[in-house]
Amino acid sequence: MPILETKGVKAYYSTPLGYVRAVDGIDLALEKGIILGLAGESGCGKSTLVNTLMMNVRPPLRFIEGTIILDGKEISSMNRSTLKKNVWGVLVSLVPQSALNALMPTQRITDLVKDVVTHHMNVSEQEVISMAKKRFEQLNLEADALYRYPHELSGGMKQRVVIAISTLLNPKLLIVDEPTSALDVSTQKQVLKMLVDLKRAKIIESMIFVTHDIAVLRQIADWIAIMYAGKIVESGPTNDMLINPKHPYTFSLVNAVVTPEPEVKSRGLISLSGEPPNLLNPPKGCRFNPRCPNAMEVCRSKEPPLEEKSNRLVACHLVSS
Amino acid sequence: MNVLLEVKELTKIYNVGLIRRKEIIAVKNISFDVKPEMFLSLVGESGSGKTTTAKIILKLTKPTSGSIIFEGKNIENINTLKELRQYWRNVHGIFQDPYASFNPFYKVDRALSQVFTLLEGSSFDKESIIKEALREVGLRPEEVLDKYPHELSGGQRQRIMIARCYILKPKLILADEPLSMIDASTRAGILKLFSRLRDEYKTSVIFITHDLGLAYYVSDEILIMYKGSIVEKGPPNEIIEKPQAQYTRRLVEDVPLLYKKWSGF
Amino acid sequence: MIPRIIKDLLKIKKLDVSLGIFLGLVLLSLLGPMIYPVDPLSVVGPPERPPSSAYPLGTDNRGRDVLAQLIGGIKNSLYIGVIAALISLGIGVVIGAISGYKGGLTDSSLMLMTDVVLVLPSILIMMLVAAYLKERNPIFVSIIIGVTSWPWVARAVRAQMMSLKAREFVYMSRIAGLRDIRIIVEDLLPNMASYIFMAFVLLMSGAMIAEAGLSMIGLGVTKGISLGIILYWAQLFESVRRGLWWWFMPPGACLVALASSLLLMSTALDEYFSPRLKGG
Repeated sequence: MPILETKGVKAYYSTPLGYVRAVDGIDLALEKGIILGLAGESGCGKSTLVNTLMMNVRPPLRFIEGTIILDGKEISSMNRSTLKKNVWGVLVSLVPQSALNALMPTQRITDLVKDVVTHHMNVSEQEVISMAKKRFEQLNLEADALYRYPHELSGGMKQRVVIAISTLLNPKLLIVDEPTSALDVSTQKQVLKMLVDLKRAKIIESMIFVTHDIAVLRQIADWIAIMYAGKIVESGPTNDMLINPKHPYTFSLVNAVVTPEPEVKSRGLISLSGEPPNLLNPPKGCRFNPRCPNAMEVCRSKEPPLEEKSNRLVACHLVSS
Repeated sequence: MNVLLEVKELTKIYNVGLIRRKEIIAVKNISFDVKPEMFLSLVGESGSGKTTTAKIILKLTKPTSGSIIFEGKNIENINTLKELRQYWRNVHGIFQDPYASFNPFYKVDRALSQVFTLLEGSSFDKESIIKEALREVGLRPEEVLDKYPHELSGGQRQRIMIARCYILKPKLILADEPLSMIDASTRAGILKLFSRLRDEYKTSVIFITHDLGLAYYVSDEILIMYKGSIVEKGPPNEIIEKPQAQYTRRLVEDVPLLYKKWSGF
Repeated sequence: MIPRIIKDLLKIKKLDVSLGIFLGLVLLSLLGPMIYPVDPLSVVGPPERPPSSAYPLGTDNRGRDVLAQLIGGIKNSLYIGVIAALISLGIGVVIGAISGYKGGLTDSSLMLMTDVVLVLPSILIMMLVAAYLKERNPIFVSIIIGVTSWPWVARAVRAQMMSLKAREFVYMSRIAGLRDIRIIVEDLLPNMASYIFMAFVLLMSGAMIAEAGLSMIGLGVTKGISLGIILYWAQLFESVRRGLWWWFMPPGACLVALASSLLLMSTALDEYFSPRLKGG
């Protein structure tokens, strides 16, 4: 049974000008024990999607329709207090994009830990601290970081601390949203190593990693899903996706990656014209059709369904035919 | 002229604080040369001093010591408005944040009409020169000219900034992280605009970036900066395949690659 | 662009309420003399009478019409408030802008001067100057208040200027070869316009209270009427102890209404402009 399964999930932002269709019909199935990389450019809806996946939906974001089944439980029909008590932190944990800046500057890390744990478990303060210390040791984090204030920790350290704390209640699924975008490459590697170790040590069973950096996903993701304009356009095993991308957008993304490798120089860089569409009024048919070099007549009128094609899921008329 | 720009033992020290003064050495004794039609990258992380170096070359701030020689003349002696304008006509800049580069109160055409202050003579058909430059960077003048910055996308704004250079045709451009706020799928298009400036007008570009991959792809020479100093200098292949300095080696090891997997991951 | 801002601003409740109160009082002072043409300073009836149909706000100790005094007083208080605020604003913005933009020695010396004026006990200075001048007309009083209230404006404008200076669009204007003055006027001041307007509103509020303060110790305008002067007389003749509420309550209430409506306006404007400035 997949750890997370969604059908037709739609979540829109309500604005004075109408609905911004940030998540527009997502079917997803995440098998246990997988690190899924969710990739896409700015504005594609990936941050909205992961918040929706755990039903963290607050106005102006509205959950429109769909079902989300997490660890066999239908969380899409739960109310906020049930979610807070039984799901968040316990089944699934989200480390949001600006987690580093959300740490209270006047609280030591221990205070944060106590808040997180005592909300769910009836344990004494000492037990909480020893839980945290144990987890930190497991992850090669210095235990005395617990007694510090956020500003005394470096960016990379803060990120690792936040991730460690999000695993304290042993959730089955960990979602991290752009955890390394603001870090330098060496710190990034440390944080990525920690995430991989989390899975190896079986502290976390499954993970969703949101990023725009495809090279990072190459290093840590087992499976990649590409998002464009509120929809998933392709998903499949990492290596296959990167060596042989089927969807034209995936192809452009992969060939726009610039890493210091001779293969990149010889392959050259692809550029797409135009911009990602305005989700208030997305294009008819396939949302990628205005920028697609292979767009056909049917692409402008009919939306391609996400279909299985060998070991992938692809939403493209060209590929289906 | 074999050398366009010489940077000689450039140092910039900031003094911070009122009572207890603290010294911050932003740039420490760096030297390098830029030739005509050359793409050079200053690679380093935040705090490495690369942006400060760019600002000094652009005469936006003064160095503490050292000199910068442009076409044989020390830029310290460029002080009158007329001389400054001539300098900026030949040495221009493009910054990282295509939104912050525009004053939100004015329409975007101001960013383009401004630069005519640098061009001598007054009998210009400004409108057609501006329209031509916009077309050169792949924008349609009707779509873009009458708009305010917030009505355009990041890619469009950055292209307008580059259009400034198509009007000026400078000999040297300082581009500070020109692609970091641009979507990956449209970056190559922006890069091509720089290449065309070099091919058509023999412009040299100093790219300031933290992205080793970008520097590798586009430069003739890479300078690695760390804490204000240049720790290594060389052509892209050598830097990537045979890094000498410890910092460079660490950078090369830690950059996530597409065609190779990290060991232990 | 201008009509859109006004439309948006009028949607803010706080602004509507405060603007309504303020404009209401302004209209009262402007139209009042036409609707109620009574001379505030001449005796019109028996002294210390409570409000009645003949005298809507009663009379003071000399038999002068309190309502007429109120109308005239609001007008003068507003007048002094505006002039003093403009003087302070002018001095503060110019000094702050030059100091912030130029930096270096110019900045240090201007700020030193600002600090000196800042720590001078402005009330004492106002009192000394006011006491020295035998004849005090509204302009003098405005100048006295204006010339002592600008330091915070200069410091605030300087701070804004210094942060704006490092914005990339200022770099772009500099390397386009524009003159410094042009950059200050074209690039920097518009981005501070909202702040300058708020400073004006705050200055006006403070100036009106300062004028009332000066008047209540007998150092306001020598001839004429203002809210502070009404309060001065009311307090001098022990209106509180003697229960002559129609004499001290209306001017006090109007002063509070004027000052607080201005403060509320500036808060509403601040809320409207700040997220904008951050979000871009």
